[in-house]
Amino acid sequence: MNKTKKSLGSTLGTIFFSIICVLYMYPIVMVVMNSFKKETAITTAETFTLPNAETFAGFKNYINALGAQGFLQSFGYSAFITISSVALILLCCSMCAWYITRVNSKLSKLIYMLCAFSMVVPFQMVMFTLSQTADSLNIFGLRFNTPWTICFIYLGFGAGLAVFMFSGFVKSIPLELEEAAMIDGCNPLQTYFKVVFPLLKPTMISVGVLETMWVWNDYLLPTLVLDIKKYRTIPMLIQYFRGSYGRVEMGPMMACIVMTVLPVVIIYLLGQKHIIKGVLAGAVKG
Amino acid sequence: MASVTLKNIKKIYPNAQKKKRKGEPEKKSNLKITAEGVVAVEDFNLEIADKEFIVLVGPSGCGKSTTLRMVAGLEEISDGELLIDGVKVNDVAPKDRDIAMVFQSYALYPHMTVYDNMAFSLKMRKLPKDEIDKKVREAAEILDITQYLDRKPKALSGGQRQRVAIGRAIVRNPKVFLMDEPLSNLDAKLRNQMRAEIIKLRQRIDTTFIYVTHDQTEAMTLGDRIVIMRDGVVQQIGTPQEVFDHPANKFVAGFIGMPQMNFYDAELVKEDGKYAVVLEGAKVVLSEDKQANLAKNDVKSQSITLGVRPEHIQLKGDASQMIHGTVDVSEMMGSTIHLHVNACGQDSIVIVPMNDIHEEGIDVSIGAQVSFTFRGKNVNIFDRETEKNLEF
Repeated sequence: MNKTKKSLGSTLGTIFFSIICVLYMYPIVMVVMNSFKKETAITTAETFTLPNAETFAGFKNYINALGAQGFLQSFGYSAFITISSVALILLCCSMCAWYITRVNSKLSKLIYMLCAFSMVVPFQMVMFTLSQTADSLNIFGLRFNTPWTICFIYLGFGAGLAVFMFSGFVKSIPLELEEAAMIDGCNPLQTYFKVVFPLLKPTMISVGVLETMWVWNDYLLPTLVLDIKKYRTIPMLIQYFRGSYGRVEMGPMMACIVMTVLPVVIIYLLGQKHIIKGVLAGAVKG
Repeated sequence: MASVTLKNIKKIYPNAQKKKRKGEPEKKSNLKITAEGVVAVEDFNLEIADKEFIVLVGPSGCGKSTTLRMVAGLEEISDGELLIDGVKVNDVAPKDRDIAMVFQSYALYPHMTVYDNMAFSLKMRKLPKDEIDKKVREAAEILDITQYLDRKPKALSGGQRQRVAIGRAIVRNPKVFLMDEPLSNLDAKLRNQMRAEIIKLRQRIDTTFIYVTHDQTEAMTLGDRIVIMRDGVVQQIGTPQEVFDHPANKFVAGFIGMPQMNFYDAELVKEDGKYAVVLEGAKVVLSEDKQANLAKNDVKSQSITLGVRPEHIQLKGDASQMIHGTVDVSEMMGSTIHLHVNACGQDSIVIVPMNDIHEEGIDVSIGAQVSFTFRGKNVNIFDRETEKNLEF
């Protein structure tokens, strides 16, 4: 009786999650499929059918996307912004979380509260002032409306989640390890880089994957901050496949989307087991 | 190799924690609370000679680990002076004190191999590679962990990890070796084994040791001298034998020795210049040395707490000196038997050798009537109120 109940439950579960899975996968499959079709086939009734001899376009859409719209340049900007932002977030936030966790002062508590608070402030609330600020800010000749410096803005927005996740994990690192390092001859910076940093690896990967997905796919922030005429990241570029008079180049757009999604999917697949580990780390006192 | 001097060392945790404690109605310890905060260690004075093995012992929360951490530089010294080789090191960073420490939780770097763990401090000191290699292999040999050098700590057992932790400390050849309850995470058998190894190790590396433990067996077997602490205050400093034979107060008497010393409410009487103790009508005259000590302190006849160790209680003696009781529990230990005897309205523990039981046919079954006494040279006399040993 119990066994049948269990198997019935698991069968229902399998069916339910299979449906969810199909719902999630459907748009992606559509995009991939249509990226190999001719422009005319996408906008007609053949949108939902598999490509056939007539509609199959091979890699033409991909070649168009790569050539015509400056895809490689945008890819470069996106890659640079993502790598610099995520690296900066990982380094600064893990250090900050270490300080907050280990130094028990009012200041450290305040920083922690501010970081936690920043997670609940919607981006839309600050975006108009942000674009103004980014345009006018000029620190020793350093401007923040270029792809080379936008990472500092990402650091601000990404810090909340990252510090929160890192603090949870740092708490689970025994203090004795750091004390042992101090006795072994490390100064605080060496203690951080030689002992704490390597131990944070699982959390680094999970925070890294989450932040990468966010920065790579982010459309709003770069649109607001960057000079659109000069610098286009990939999400911005995709918008430019919508030409004037409502004309949309569907083929190259689909191809572009596939190429954009691919790196994130690869990173996610490589790091997925660490994501669960990192999110859960520090949740329970070990 | 160095001498260590602690002069009036004090540790006070500031008021923030005092307030927290105030909020809690039940306090765990009897630590003194002053206007400045909670006094964790009070007026600690100790001269540790070069190559001496000192053991700090006491119950949890007595300040022994705090003291050790102050010597290590991991805890700030609130007041007093700490000298290593005559040089004041109060404000010297841990890395510059030339000390090594073994932690209770081993504190091995989990991301490094055993070799890297042991070489870490030498690398930080920028020693040449071949010298590091030589030192690590030497230490590994001493501790018999050469075959584990390529493993990560998680692949080692508790005992092996402890050896690595010790190895990490000895490669440095430090002036002072600090150990914070290094054996308390091990099971009983391994603990005995490691204890013996520490004694051997000590003979080999011959340096100054400060060892913290709450286990009195470790304290007695390892230490040249023992420092017994309670609530942040040093109770007694002495060799294991001194502390065992002449405890300075009731706390030390109860803490050192297994099973614990028996305490009785008794009377100290002085008749014709001779001191004797009277317990339940049994009168035992004290030995000459005790007489002399008490006379020197001019101790009057008074109510006292009498302390007698279980191994000093005997079941034979003068009929007028016998105390009568009933056996409540008898614990067979192999060569001896521990009797819990209900006498004088309390539980007394008596250790009886099995030979005596066989030879004299003593009945030690539960509920049996037994009589016991003790010798005048084996008693400890404590003031009923201050709990101090009246001989001191």
